[in-house]
Amino acid sequence: MTTPIDNMPAALRETAQQCAAACVAEVAGIQAAVIATIDGFDLAAAFRVEQDAARIAAMASSISAISGVVAQEAGLGKFRHVTIGTDAGFAIVHTAPRADVELVISVIASEDAIQAQVMHRVAAMARVLAAA
Amino acid sequence: MGAGKTTAIRAISDIEPIVTDVANHDTSVAKERTTVGLDYGMLSLDNGDRIRLFGTPGQARFDFLWQILVRKALGLVILTDNSRPDPLADLAMFLDGFALQLESVPCVIGVGRLDSHPQPTLEHYADLLEARGQVFPLLPVDVRRRDDVVLLVDTLLGQIEAGMQLDLP
Repeated sequence: MTTPIDNMPAALRETAQQCAAACVAEVAGIQAAVIATIDGFDLAAAFRVEQDAARIAAMASSISAISGVVAQEAGLGKFRHVTIGTDAGFAIVHTAPRADVELVISVIASEDAIQAQVMHRVAAMARVLAAA
Repeated sequence: MGAGKTTAIRAISDIEPIVTDVANHDTSVAKERTTVGLDYGMLSLDNGDRIRLFGTPGQARFDFLWQILVRKALGLVILTDNSRPDPLADLAMFLDGFALQLESVPCVIGVGRLDSHPQPTLEHYADLLEARGQVFPLLPVDVRRRDDVVLLVDTLLGQIEAGMQLDLP
């Protein structure tokens, strides 16, 4: 039985919020960080400019699921992350699997951000969330 | 949500469907997994034509996908679950969500779990449609039964063909 969204561990929510806030505050160019359940419920979010966390969470869930199918159909193993590049920046959707709940991290960054730096930070967040 | 869209596509698809279901954390629906991306299947018709079947997530928070998946759709099947707390509100949500497309795209409505949950009746559904000024075929459906789902698709195809004939000069 999966953990209901209302019963997510408080410590996990707290860790997620700290991760999201630190990510936005410390990495140049990151506009938003949202941590959500795999089925699209936002657990934590931080923004440089206010955005709709619930909508980002739902989109990340869909992107993650569709990317997972692509990875599977292509015989590339289990999906981990995807980067969406645009003319104004990029978005990264990264999984953070845990034993009790699978999470998805979404980070939206402007063109000022350094993609490798953001990717490194997001991967570190995923490790922290997996261990929390 | 929980009306059986994935099950319905699986019931009639000629290919192994592509599904994007994940663990469900929503307490409002008692099911282990839920679609968050899309379902995809394919059905071959007797005349050799093949139709592609796309299923959407049912929750309103995924309405951005509804608008993507409905593009260039020949028709729309809306499935409701009569065991839900307010299935008429669920239907209204989908009718609102697809309002623009429903002005031109044929639609059929399948009502599930009528046997175990007889209220609201099909008449109540028809009343809702009438109040909105909409007329769509309403059918009881058990999405696990291939024949039921095929009947939905056949009805939709009938609607599509009728529309094509009306468009003829």
